[in-house]
Amino acid sequence: MNPLKRSGATWLADGVTLGALVVWWLAARSLPEFVLPGPVAVAERLAALFIDPDFLVHTLASTVRVLISVLLALAIGSMLALIQRAWPALDWVLRGGVQPFLNSFPSIGWAILAAIWFTPGHGSIIFVEVAILIPFCMINVGEGLRQIDRESLEMATSFTRRRIRIAWLVGLPLLAPWLLGALRISYGVAWKIALVAELLGSTSGLGYLMLRAQGSADMTTVIAACFAIIALFVAGERLLLDPLARRFAAR
Amino acid sequence: MTGAVFRAGATSRDIGATTRAKALVAFAFVAAIGIAWSVASDRVPPYILPSPRDVARAAAAFFTTGRQLAHLGSTLAHIGASIAISFVLGALLALAAHYASWSAPAIHRRLSPFLNAFSGIGWTLLAVIWFGVSSATVVFTISVVLLPFALINLREGLETQDRELAEMGRSFGRDGWRNFAAIVAPALLPFAAATLRIMFGVAWKVALTAELFGGSRGLGYMINIARQDYDTATIFTVILFIIVAVYLADRLLFAPLERHTSRHFGRAAR
Repeated sequence: MNPLKRSGATWLADGVTLGALVVWWLAARSLPEFVLPGPVAVAERLAALFIDPDFLVHTLASTVRVLISVLLALAIGSMLALIQRAWPALDWVLRGGVQPFLNSFPSIGWAILAAIWFTPGHGSIIFVEVAILIPFCMINVGEGLRQIDRESLEMATSFTRRRIRIAWLVGLPLLAPWLLGALRISYGVAWKIALVAELLGSTSGLGYLMLRAQGSADMTTVIAACFAIIALFVAGERLLLDPLARRFAAR
Repeated sequence: MTGAVFRAGATSRDIGATTRAKALVAFAFVAAIGIAWSVASDRVPPYILPSPRDVARAAAAFFTTGRQLAHLGSTLAHIGASIAISFVLGALLALAAHYASWSAPAIHRRLSPFLNAFSGIGWTLLAVIWFGVSSATVVFTISVVLLPFALINLREGLETQDRELAEMGRSFGRDGWRNFAAIVAPALLPFAAATLRIMFGVAWKVALTAELFGGSRGLGYMINIARQDYDTATIFTVILFIIVAVYLADRLLFAPLERHTSRHFGRAAR
């Protein structure tokens, strides 16, 4: 593909995006605000979500809970994958039982059960998000452990007998791409799916804000919250995950 | 534990865990869960944790009541329709980006990341306002969440096409459709099967949420009613049923389909 044609196609992509905005603007002019608010109103509300303290509380609550949940899920999922590898007798229980069980568990099911079992609060929401994310981490880290280069481990064993040292210096770097993959997937799923945790028995967060806004026909806030989620998702990828990936890919 | 995991040459002994040991541990695990469940359910009210017997009774009622089975049918219809819609749309977009390369940036760098980053709950709540509480809302939500999965996977399939094979095809005949049907489509089948498998798993997760907030029928609607009645046994039944159904469908339908297509039409087959 020559550079001229490429830039033409990119222009077209930008043109399509702009066209979509114009169509949205035109459509919003002839539709009532509770059906489709205009792009300007949504953009203002989107800015408010990151500036106005009343909205910022919800944005921050969701962000902090997503980050905590992703890290907890990665820790627990990796632990389960390691246990399964260390004790092969548990293979059926973990890979044949626990993993498919968690993987097929409907996410709204966790949200409902948590609403019944726990008093509403950060803890119950983080429980739901972690429960939804664990299988993704477990599958990815487990796959990484299976793919790990045995010859490197063997070579390391010939240098030292200290297993902690081998795990830290050889095992962990070999596993890093899989850990990163698990982080990337669970970070995306956390924003896109696990936010259901905030719909039942929560009084803060973007999910709660969206549900409340929908209940009062405040379409502007619903759409702005959707864009805020996209912004946070992309920001996390660009500012956290991509630099991490570059750092570990360099090895 | 780390020691055992990162011990080189552990493979031969790993396999030493015999099938019998695995089965024994699995049986002990299931038995322990069952005992823990029934002991725990004796100590708390049934709306918090119903006993296994309550759940069995609710399950029996679930499979013998016409109305409940109708909800199950609705959910299956929602999922089937959404998978079909998003698969066709995703395939059309992926093919458009592949064959009309001027449209590729618009599709792969604008539409696909946008859809991929959009939250499922957002679509549900928007759809409820646009289409009301109806099956249209549910099908719209699931389809739009599944669309990026179809698009990204089929793109992968199109990009790994064997170029030499395509060239050979062109040297035999200029008929684009014939080449597509004889060379491109069969090579895409393994990717199509993998895509369907992923979409099926995700569809269930989204379907229940969409039905709970925007549906007037389906299993999601049913568990919402059960939740309001504090009928936790029914909630357990639905969740357990879904886990079993998704697992069995994956193992008995989608995994063999994926294996079959990649054996017959995948790279290894050539």
